[in-house]
Amino acid sequence: MGRTVGIDLGTTYSLIAYQDKLEGAPKCIPGPYGTPLCPSVVSVDADGAIVAGEAARRRLLTQPERTIYSVKRLMGRGPADVQEELKIFPFRIDPGSTNVIRVRLGDRVFTPPEISAFILRELKSWAEDYFQDSVDRAVITVPAYFNDAQRQATRDAGRLAGLEVLRLVNEPTAAALAYGLHEQKRGRVAVYDFGGGTFDISILKLVSTTDGDIYQVLSTNGDTHLGGDDIDNTLQSVARGEISAQGVDLATHPETVQELRKALIAAKHELSEAGKTTVKFALPNGAVYFREITRAEYDGWIRPIVERTMAPVRQALADAKLASAEIEEVVLVGGSTRVPLVRRTVTEFFGRRPHAELNPDEVVALGAAVQAGILEGGVKDMLLLDVTPLSLGIETMGGVVAKIIPRNSTIPASAQELFTTGVENQTGIDIHVLQGERELAKDCRSLARFQLKVPPGPPGLARIEVKFLIDASGILQVSARDLRAGKQHSIEVLPSYGLDDAEVERILEESIEYAEQDFSERQLIEARNEAEIMLHATEKALAREQVEAPGELPADELRALDGAVAALREALAGADYKRIRAFVDVLNQATMPLAERMMNRALSTVFEGKRLDEV
Amino acid sequence: MGEVRRPFFLPGGGAPLPNHEEFPSRLFDLAGQDHPIMSAPSTTAATSITCGNCSAATGGAHFCPACGKIQPLPPGTDYFAFFGLQRKLALDLPELERRFHSLSWRLHPDNFMRASELERQLSLDRSSQLNDAYRTLRDPVARVEYMLGLAGMRKEGQKKQQAPPELLEEVFELNESLDRLREARESGENAAETAGLRGKLEAAQQKFESSLADADQELTQVSAQWDRALDSGTDDATKKKLMERMNSILNRRSYIRNLVESTQKVLAGT
Ligand SMILES: [Zn+2]
Repeated sequence: MGRTVGIDLGTTYSLIAYQDKLEGAPKCIPGPYGTPLCPSVVSVDADGAIVAGEAARRRLLTQPERTIYSVKRLMGRGPADVQEELKIFPFRIDPGSTNVIRVRLGDRVFTPPEISAFILRELKSWAEDYFQDSVDRAVITVPAYFNDAQRQATRDAGRLAGLEVLRLVNEPTAAALAYGLHEQKRGRVAVYDFGGGTFDISILKLVSTTDGDIYQVLSTNGDTHLGGDDIDNTLQSVARGEISAQGVDLATHPETVQELRKALIAAKHELSEAGKTTVKFALPNGAVYFREITRAEYDGWIRPIVERTMAPVRQALADAKLASAEIEEVVLVGGSTRVPLVRRTVTEFFGRRPHAELNPDEVVALGAAVQAGILEGGVKDMLLLDVTPLSLGIETMGGVVAKIIPRNSTIPASAQELFTTGVENQTGIDIHVLQGERELAKDCRSLARFQLKVPPGPPGLARIEVKFLIDASGILQVSARDLRAGKQHSIEVLPSYGLDDAEVERILEESIEYAEQDFSERQLIEARNEAEIMLHATEKALAREQVEAPGELPADELRALDGAVAALREALAGADYKRIRAFVDVLNQATMPLAERMMNRALSTVFEGKRLDEV
Repeated sequence: MGEVRRPFFLPGGGAPLPNHEEFPSRLFDLAGQDHPIMSAPSTTAATSITCGNCSAATGGAHFCPACGKIQPLPPGTDYFAFFGLQRKLALDLPELERRFHSLSWRLHPDNFMRASELERQLSLDRSSQLNDAYRTLRDPVARVEYMLGLAGMRKEGQKKQQAPPELLEEVFELNESLDRLREARESGENAAETAGLRGKLEAAQQKFESSLADADQELTQVSAQWDRALDSGTDDATKKKLMERMNSILNRRSYIRNLVESTQKVLAGT
């Protein structure tokens, strides 16, 4: 039997961690680039080969139409749900999508769980490389506010990646587990988890009992479509507005749009540290978009986004029957909590300084590893009691929803309902299961439909008891008993969104080819791709230099460039991915002065000969 | 809400009408196993249950006293018995929580990851019932509703909202205020009138909230009488009267709570 790991499958980055039975503290596993952050990006080659992670992220700039990011936003959703995201995200949804979204990457089409599975496979390979052992079981985290369909999609992704998903754990709760282990906290804790694409708030009570520590979630709330992505999009719409005022339309330059996005994300990161930052961005027509952004201006732009997190916070407190002053500890999780306005808003609301000692990017994966340790039996003195974020109901007459399991019920939770027939010789009873807080079925999330088949007879004779059970992963299970016959009653539950078992099986069979591809082989493909991108970019830059500034390239610089190019070509002929990567870095270094000069030149056309450091 | 509470499937493709009570007493009502609460000790019907693994008598316990294996839920176990409690309405909440945590450690699916398929299922059944039972019993109102359901006093179709006579005038005024508020809004937000109506609504809201508090207090009092009646072995007729009183308080309470909620909604919208 192989290893068990904890995985944070994030919107922007994903991480894999493990808990060593001997060492105690959980650890994140670094990938081939030395960082444990694996960009949640997937790209498909012209020849159909798939890369995930950093190599795919680099391709966002060169082959955006073959590359996808933020796929988590599509998990467990139908085409009609994502119309709003399509306005902001460059997702290419296949028109043939019905209940499951299908995304086009190059000339291939994938469902969101398949794309997520490529990210999971990448992480799995990191861990297998690290352990020199197979990894076959995992605890995967999900936003606390994920509904049943989104959870099922995540579980399917795990399965497609060749992992047995032992449990789905809510991200804020995982963070609390990691923090509890780290700080030995007790009492009432609020976890404010603002990630790349989702926001969650969970209120927990940490109790010491004679058996060990219980992490009991009292309530949870959130927004599964609110995150750092929205901040990026806000910056982007400001910048694109100003760029089009300069007379440049980026709509026809998808590569430039991705480069701009990258530059603005860098500006966002700088604004988390400094009071102002400057964006200098070369436009396709040779002009430069030059923009100073102050913290105050930035705060003004993003305030509506930060404000949107507060309604779920208030609701979660109300559901836990607590006032903000009764919260003893506040924990910040997720990369977006680095934003100063977020910290200030949370500090002011709770009237106390939040904890952020653990790396907000890693803490969720670490908590997943702790839960994996609990399930493997290595951690015996911790117990997590989580809740279901949304009420479960069934549709009744007039399209009204009867709630059968209220939100914030500790899971596992269950409800039994008895059904019978209403007319003579009726042969079936249709059941429609929903999730949500609204009163009408049309305003709630449809989870599944099924039909109870009954033998013909007088009305009211059949007595079929249906048990709805939400398991410890927050996923619904349905079973039925025929009370008159005194035996189980078979039902086939069709999910409203997502893949059915047959489809998962089919994809699994098709992906065996990919599964057999060994780790270093894939690393080689990725390294070669990178090298080619780098060589191509250098060639292009040199050609442009020839046109724009003939004869200005210093001889020693040209020699260094030629040497680096030759060395990389030589490495490329071999099959050592580490060697190829090393020479990619060398070439990267060698091109820096050239890139700098080109940028300065572009800027000087705007600022009438001033040097960069003078403006 | 009529008498017909059994779910129906309508021939026109309509959805079924499931049972519509808020709390899970129906599990027992529907299985036709209403417990005659007058005489039942809390561990009813558990004496003849044996372990599926070693055949020892389990007495309906969570785990077999002989081999330690987790046991299926016996039919008719009630939430009070699940926690080893008498069916009394005054509950020591810290003690209930202590039992909840202690049972959570033992029944939670985390402990059965490597157990057989059957044991994993039993753990899921038992731990979900533990959570359902704790959710119901820790809430004093849900607890009374559940107990009445067990006793067959609060069945499907019997649950209705009763308008308390002392509030009728208020309700009448409330409706009038709501109508006028709507008119004021339609005629272009007459600020002065809207403010006046808002004041009226707030006053009504206060009155409803205090009525709700009264109902809760009354429920606590009758609950205490019920517990004393159990202790002193009072006759069934008296017990039945007490249950009827609790039932009617619950109906009144549910009406008032709706008023509070709808006024809140309107106030939030102005
Ligand atoms: Zn036994």
